[in-house]
Amino acid sequence: MVSFLIRRLIMMLLTMLVASFVVFAVSELTPGSVARKSLGPFATQQQVDILTERLKANDPLLIRYGRWLGVLTGVLADPLQDPASGLNFTDPRGRRYFGNFGYSTLYKLPVNDVIWDRLGHTAILAGLAFALIVPLSIVVGVLSGLKEGGALDRILSVVSITFTSVPEFASGVFLVTGFVILWPVLPGTSPMDASGGWSVPSQLVLPVAVLVIYDFGYVARMIRVSMIEVMEKPYIRTAILKGLSPRQVIFGHALRNAMIAPFTVLLLQLNFLISGVVVTELVFAYPGFGRMLLEASLFGDISTVEAATLVTVAVAIVTQFLGDLGYMALNPRIRVA
Amino acid sequence: MATLLGLSAALAYEAVGEIDPVGTAQAADMPKGGNLRIGMRCMEIKSPHLADFAERSNVIRQVCEYLTFTGRDNITRPYLLEKWDVSDDLKTWTLHIRKDVKWHNGRPLTADDVVWNLRRVSDPAVGSSVLGLFTGYLVEEYQTGEKDKDGKPKTSSRLWSDKAIEKVDDHTVRLNAFAPQIAVPEHLFHYPMFIIDPAENGAFGPGSNGTGPFELVEFTVGKSAKYKARKDYWGSAPYLDTFEFVDLGDNPGAQIAAIASRQVDGLSEADAVQINAMKTFPHVAVHKVDTTQTAVARMHPDQKPFNDKRVRQAMRLAVDHDKVIQTVLLGAGTSAEDHHVAPTHPEYAALPKYGKDVDKAKTLLADAGYPDGFEIDMVTRPDPIWELNTVQVLAEQFKDIGVRINIKALPSAQYWDVWTTVPFSLTAWGHRPLGIMTLSLAYRSNAAWNESGYSNPEFDKLLSQAEGILDPKQRSAVMAKIEALMQDDGPIVQPFWRVFSTVMDKKVMGFQLHPSQYIFANEYAVAAA
Repeated sequence: MVSFLIRRLIMMLLTMLVASFVVFAVSELTPGSVARKSLGPFATQQQVDILTERLKANDPLLIRYGRWLGVLTGVLADPLQDPASGLNFTDPRGRRYFGNFGYSTLYKLPVNDVIWDRLGHTAILAGLAFALIVPLSIVVGVLSGLKEGGALDRILSVVSITFTSVPEFASGVFLVTGFVILWPVLPGTSPMDASGGWSVPSQLVLPVAVLVIYDFGYVARMIRVSMIEVMEKPYIRTAILKGLSPRQVIFGHALRNAMIAPFTVLLLQLNFLISGVVVTELVFAYPGFGRMLLEASLFGDISTVEAATLVTVAVAIVTQFLGDLGYMALNPRIRVA
Repeated sequence: MATLLGLSAALAYEAVGEIDPVGTAQAADMPKGGNLRIGMRCMEIKSPHLADFAERSNVIRQVCEYLTFTGRDNITRPYLLEKWDVSDDLKTWTLHIRKDVKWHNGRPLTADDVVWNLRRVSDPAVGSSVLGLFTGYLVEEYQTGEKDKDGKPKTSSRLWSDKAIEKVDDHTVRLNAFAPQIAVPEHLFHYPMFIIDPAENGAFGPGSNGTGPFELVEFTVGKSAKYKARKDYWGSAPYLDTFEFVDLGDNPGAQIAAIASRQVDGLSEADAVQINAMKTFPHVAVHKVDTTQTAVARMHPDQKPFNDKRVRQAMRLAVDHDKVIQTVLLGAGTSAEDHHVAPTHPEYAALPKYGKDVDKAKTLLADAGYPDGFEIDMVTRPDPIWELNTVQVLAEQFKDIGVRINIKALPSAQYWDVWTTVPFSLTAWGHRPLGIMTLSLAYRSNAAWNESGYSNPEFDKLLSQAEGILDPKQRSAVMAKIEALMQDDGPIVQPFWRVFSTVMDKKVMGFQLHPSQYIFANEYAVAAA
């Protein structure tokens, strides 16, 4: 188990390293220099040239990547915070510390000041949505999977397929039209701040609803298929022939086995909810991680995009790891040496 | 004009009959107290002197103030100044600072503060865009003696003399220019030309010192800016107790939704499509103002195929202005005449109109050696959407004369990297009260914002001549020549002037939309619900 954990940890670091390098390399393709982005559109070419030289931004890609890595691990001081750059960029944590993601050229703040707040907001949104998606999709999936082709299955299938196929921006607009404009009971945007006269919980209703509507149907379909498969297994037939009540059959034998495959799918939804909520955040002006990532990548704010990438990759790997652990718990035949 | 000379505030207001900018003549029936929330992007702020978007300057504007104020009517009045005098040769400007102005920390505003501010924006190391406006009369360019990597001598800027910005006494500052300049009061209202406390050395944030009516209490990039009214403001204290900007992001739908659920009381800007969606809300009032905001499709005259002026003329003849206005702005605009001087500018001269003429354009193209037209990239931004829409409509119209456009949309940040270098692109230009201001920023040889690299000695000569004429009528005689030159030889196709619009809750009182998108929260009040 310990060696499994260590192997996993090394894999995780390697994956993050590769991902961060890919982002670094891809950012080469977008036009515009770090110096220009730090100084803004109205700086003269002369100022840009001076700063480019000071930051050594014309060095080869690998050297610059190495430098970024050095700043991240605290081996090197962040060059953007160098007082000689004339940018007045300062980080209260200092110029050299472990976990220094550098300076955001878009927000003109240390990346650490930008991403954690945003991530927290998105975690609330994603957490609430996840807490609703899990029970809802299990109930719907199991109910429609129990009697494939029955009336209930038909109805639930139509509902989940319809909901899943409506894109988030469309359901967002529908909900806003319904609950904000025609029947004004909810706020139209979610700045996570009560000074607009609407409480923070009321601001979460619509964005969470959009995410749940979009996602639960998809997961329910997965659970349904798995449930159907399990219900056709010989041991279920045996259990029924043995004279167990349907209740005992479902809860005692079917459910646990039916959840093995969808379990991974469910955990994958966490990844989607952390990095894939851009559309919902845009629709409701929600100050979250996805919107930040979108703005940063459009601007070419490499430091912020790098940090955000590492966070999303880490979330993906951790959920995958949790998935494996859950798998083991659900299926005793899978054991790690 | 009395106002142009800044004789006295009282005289000026009598002459133009408008409420004064800083609220010294406070209306008695305006309700006191309350909070107001306006939806606007809250972008990061490095320094007031570096503000480069109306949104950024709006956040600072509630705390820091200008020496002058250009109103909705394009007329400039004294603000932190009591008045100004100018010599007959338009080279010596004496600025008389109000004696009753106090900073938040209680210190009086002095000539030293003003001199420090004017010198700071003139320092190329600071990088303020005011430097570009001062160049040519207070600031000169010189060769540093160093060479760049191509072996060309490096140039920089500096004040032309130690006496260029001079303290006369504690409340008087004199500008000694080496060339005549009539637009000095307008330049002092250029959006980064804030008067900030020298002790803060250009930093800005909650608690920053300023002479303005509000104190910034809280500021979070991408979220909000919150203000508290100041009790000891030198003008009359604001009506509001508190004021707030709320960042609603770039999604136009979110802005509409926030207005619908009254999470904000107004927006800093709403485009024609948003207005259409909101004008049916019973609690919403629509505000509109004519502006000299525009977008120009600009061609690099030193790059093929635009190095032939017949090609540039043909491009202008390909455009049906009214159609562009209808399609892109849903009618919220007025036709422009390809010379970047607006009918609302005081020195505007009316020239014979010309419209779309495909045959003439094709003949010109054929004469220039392009009988089958040509294919070219046109660079633009997808946001704000009206800019991309303009490019799409123009591209359709250029097709009529055989010019095939490949639209290259770049995110804003990347657009500003290439805006002065690509052969063909569309750039939005902000509102300026005088025609000569835009022309000297954008078309004078070697000007910092001369995006097309246009260089025409005759144009430069005429423009300098116009900048030295005080009387708008006489100036417009020279301007007629400049406009004709732009239509004949100039680097731009200019389809329209935008009508600027926004919405406010009907309970908001005292709101007047400023063509520069400037927000002055101390003018507004909220009626009790």
